[in-house]
Amino acid sequence: MRAVVVGAGFAGSLVAKVLGDNGFRVLVLEAGAEPNEDAVSRYRTALVKSPLVPFRRTAAAPSSDYVVDTGPHSLASPYLRMNGGTGTAWTGITPRMRPDDFRTGDLGRGRNWPLSYDDLEPSYRAAEWEIGIAADADEQRRHVPIPEGYRYPMHALPRTFLDDAIASVVDGQRIDGRELLVVGTPQARNGVPVDGYHPDGQLCAGFASCVPVCPEGAKYTPHRTQRRWSSTVELRTRCAVNRLHADEFGRITKVDYQRYEDDTSGRHTRHSVEADVVVLAAHAIENAKLLLLSGLANSSDQVGRNLMGHPVLLTWGLMPHPIGPFRGPGSTTGIETFRSGPERRERAPFRIEIGNWGWGWSAGSPGSDTAELVAAGLRGTALRQAVAERVGRQFTLQIEVEQEADPANRVTLAAERDALGTPRPSVHYALSEYAKDGLLASKRVSDRLFEMLGAEDHTAYKPDDGHYFEHNGEPLRYWGAGHSGGTHVMGSSPRDSVVDQWQRCWDHPNLYAVGCGSMPSLGTSNPSLTMAALALRTADHLVSRAR
Amino acid sequence: MDAFVELSAELTGFSAEELRSTGLVEQYRALADGASEAEIIELWYTGVWRGVIPTERAYAEGLAWKAVGVAAPGTSAPGFGSWERRPRRSAR
Repeated sequence: MRAVVVGAGFAGSLVAKVLGDNGFRVLVLEAGAEPNEDAVSRYRTALVKSPLVPFRRTAAAPSSDYVVDTGPHSLASPYLRMNGGTGTAWTGITPRMRPDDFRTGDLGRGRNWPLSYDDLEPSYRAAEWEIGIAADADEQRRHVPIPEGYRYPMHALPRTFLDDAIASVVDGQRIDGRELLVVGTPQARNGVPVDGYHPDGQLCAGFASCVPVCPEGAKYTPHRTQRRWSSTVELRTRCAVNRLHADEFGRITKVDYQRYEDDTSGRHTRHSVEADVVVLAAHAIENAKLLLLSGLANSSDQVGRNLMGHPVLLTWGLMPHPIGPFRGPGSTTGIETFRSGPERRERAPFRIEIGNWGWGWSAGSPGSDTAELVAAGLRGTALRQAVAERVGRQFTLQIEVEQEADPANRVTLAAERDALGTPRPSVHYALSEYAKDGLLASKRVSDRLFEMLGAEDHTAYKPDDGHYFEHNGEPLRYWGAGHSGGTHVMGSSPRDSVVDQWQRCWDHPNLYAVGCGSMPSLGTSNPSLTMAALALRTADHLVSRAR
Repeated sequence: MDAFVELSAELTGFSAEELRSTGLVEQYRALADGASEAEIIELWYTGVWRGVIPTERAYAEGLAWKAVGVAAPGTSAPGFGSWERRPRRSAR
């Protein structure tokens, strides 16, 4: 069997590995270039340390900044076209979805999945072992069903001093009748292994720059899986697929791609390759773009629709005492109780991450603090003390809010073209009232938490900030999480979905579209682990079909 | 006494010895000729010179991080679990 996998990111690398291990000849076509060696250096000298800034970019395969944003809101979710994909820059936080996240349609919000948590559970375990997740099963079992006897491959990472400071105050308290508990967050970075597991890479040593780059390789990236590929897997970078062809029975016969050498121009050569099976794994927006360009898989008219992200509310303040921010991974714990419950019918649920990196994300600390204190006239020892006092107590709550599937939020093809002459993706995205209600509810919970903690609240949303809006008269703002999904949505009927529960396109027996684009809901969890579980499930299905 | 180091120490609240230990005195002296107080402080505290971070060392040695008692992210490996510990107080 000859498989062509389009995209060497998270999902594509996993699918290629399983297929290669099972005798497929696999060609992986990656639009981006090889990773640059100087990512850490670029990170250190970048003025704004945004997620994509350390990585090699090419004119021929631009990253998310080439998406044409038609509003009314901005999706604000970057993705990286480079070997390894956005999984190179990701944060490495891997909570599972909750069982009720698979039934959001029953809540009257968004869509149901054609499979249940129990159906996907074995694949979650497989993904956690393939990626290498550090977590404690007993602790996770307090908010999500984990089978008895299951062990994660690595023990939970130690919590930060901040985590313990918050837990010591809020654990056991209640907000809106919900009992609060600070819970360790599963991490895709190396901790202490359980018996029988051999971590790939170094033990996490606390560089505190996981997003965008871990200098010692303690964080999982798809390059790790690529190093385990069998010799039957061939990777070709700098190959941007621009068209798939199908025969009269709907079978995909041929994949066209444009190959470029130069990072700075659109000069390219044209190629085609034949395949028995094709797996699109190029990112939710890129997969939709390719299907639209090819005029395929769209008998349901759902290709590109149901685009979802996680609007994030940041709230930030000062703890009553120094807690030592900017140490360890970005977030090691969270408060999970608002991810579920009857309120979910009325407003979007949310997951609260405790942010360990001060006000770095929310306010640009410590540079912004220094500038403010200097402008206020502080000099010398007074300045040094004021910076220590201000920054040493900083923390941020990073609250991911669900955005339900809505067919009106969609990817289409823009009139504008990229350097290869291919139409750029265009995104129409609006925050729903449901998501806005969730953002506002999460702000109120945050206010209560700050009160309990005796924290000084410095949260401020101003009309000239990006992604500012008002809801029920209250100022709010959202940030993007980089979690795009829904654009080739999975369902139980070809009439209203693009792929089936195996991520196979209903219209094409040998075409699969994998990744977050298949997800009918994102719930409130960072989606990479679920994407990985789905990818492994699809790969196993392909292997069993070939036998 | 070196006039630039003396001025920098007065502005930043870090001793001449602490400033010299960054290895950046010569580079910053050359850059900061004719600069304002605020520019000199920004350079020492954040490694930013007129919108640019000139070298990795400038970022890594930013005094804002030292004032807080932590390493600039992505520059140092304090060790597995180091984040559990009570932060050390470093401000004078």
